[in-house]
Amino acid sequence: MPAALVLAGVVIFPTIFLYYISLTNYDLSVGWQAKKFVWLNNYIYLFTQDPLFWKSFLITLIFVVSTVSFEFVLGMLVALGLNRIRHGRRLLLSLIIIPMVCTPSIIALMWKLMLNTEYGVLNFLLRLIGLSNVNWLGTNMALPSVILVDIWEWTPFMVLMLFAALQSIPEEPMEAARVDGASGPQIFFFVTLPMMMRIALIAIILRLVDSFKIFDTIYALTQGGPGSATEVFSMRIFRIGFQHTNWIGRASAYAVMIILVLSPLFSKFTKLIKEER
Amino acid sequence: MYIEKKWKAKSLITYALLILFTLFCIFPFFWMLLTSLKARVDVIDPSVWVFKPIIDNYKNVFEKRNLLFNIKNSIIVVSGTTIISLLLGTLAAYGFARFNFKRKESLAFWILSLRMLPPMAVVISFFVLGRLLRLLDTHIYLIIIYLSFNIPFTIWMMRGFIEDIPIEIEEAAWLDGCSRIKGFFKVIFPLISPGLIATAIFCIIQSWNEFSLAFFLTTFNAKTVPTIVTAFLSVTGVLWGEMAAVGVVAIAPIVVFAFLVQKNLVRGLTFGAVKG
Repeated sequence: MPAALVLAGVVIFPTIFLYYISLTNYDLSVGWQAKKFVWLNNYIYLFTQDPLFWKSFLITLIFVVSTVSFEFVLGMLVALGLNRIRHGRRLLLSLIIIPMVCTPSIIALMWKLMLNTEYGVLNFLLRLIGLSNVNWLGTNMALPSVILVDIWEWTPFMVLMLFAALQSIPEEPMEAARVDGASGPQIFFFVTLPMMMRIALIAIILRLVDSFKIFDTIYALTQGGPGSATEVFSMRIFRIGFQHTNWIGRASAYAVMIILVLSPLFSKFTKLIKEER
Repeated sequence: MYIEKKWKAKSLITYALLILFTLFCIFPFFWMLLTSLKARVDVIDPSVWVFKPIIDNYKNVFEKRNLLFNIKNSIIVVSGTTIISLLLGTLAAYGFARFNFKRKESLAFWILSLRMLPPMAVVISFFVLGRLLRLLDTHIYLIIIYLSFNIPFTIWMMRGFIEDIPIEIEEAAWLDGCSRIKGFFKVIFPLISPGLIATAIFCIIQSWNEFSLAFFLTTFNAKTVPTIVTAFLSVTGVLWGEMAAVGVVAIAPIVVFAFLVQKNLVRGLTFGAVKG
């Protein structure tokens, strides 16, 4: 199995290496030879001294929870709508998938133009309907704006997955429920939703993981700023490891934390895929 | 009659909302196209929607910014990693689909979990290793590293496509005197080639769009297209028109590719688990 060998080389080794670095005080500006083994000091630093660890954790949490829940609800509504109409499904679907295949870093920069306070098209549209300008990428609105862009980019993913799920379930149970006098929402929550649960969960977990990993969109939009307003975990790794300081050891400890947070999601995902096959 | 009318009104609203959502989805793309064709003064005036299109922005990015160089880098990296993943991944997929061996499923799922590893978690190791081995900023390093997500993806996609083909077809070929390898190339290969093409396109899309790894591991010589944004971040008074032109050149082909695999999109997004 040459494939397994290659994977071992490009994945296992770097992961072990990452754990190792996270136990040292390696600093890019000092050099590889000068590093020392510091055991768990980087982790202790994260939890007790790093003022931004919990803040960045909270920002990541807000980002992940709000993007995924918005995307799921909106995606579900659109999927239900698509399921109901008779003509033009294919055309609408092909247009809807455009956001998720666009190069994220580049399209995020276009959003930066659109969100610009003075000459952004979004504020222009707001003025047209009589509202006042919003400072989209200012301290208060930066996080909601980043969330908005992520929702724009990834709701299509939910639409696609949930629409596929809707298409794969049989009509009869819904018909039966309707004959029994169930209302529309009742049918949805008690008949349709349970039947599409597994694919919905797969979609949600994939989004949770990807949302947790986000870097490129935020880098292009705000670079974690203003201040540390949009400094999610990946951004924090970049800043302490490469941009502000060169503390690779501490950045590695952050990266290990990401793996730890995501691993229960991995195992749940694996279980769902096993059932689906 | 009344019910008919009510149904019509309801579906009209559904259509209206769906079209609104679709407009929301394509608007940034449309705005990028518009911006790329605007003159510099019009770019910062969002009330200009109708104007005489100019191609100066495109000329500038190719002549002054040397966009072709980045495109060349991207093409080298993307085609390298895609070809290697398809070769190694398809072989492994055939093994997973047709042979039984100890702990097969746990190995398969371990491979699947790799696909979900956050780039930020491994990029530090790759960076430090690349520095020690002097491999930073080379095409070959990016090609190898992109294998870490493309091979798992290929294995899972191709495994699904191979399992879709009844083993009886292959057995018939063996009875006719084909060896396993000959049977694979004569019987299986033609049948899976649509799947192979779809898988290749997915690999191309995700490698082309990849930013985080390329951003950390390249500085000049192997800089790929997505990392161009860094050049537009640092300058005050960004040249939005040129940026938009870069965007159109980078994104339009990918959108075309995506249309080609639309039928297999759900399958691709779930590593072949949900057939869609």
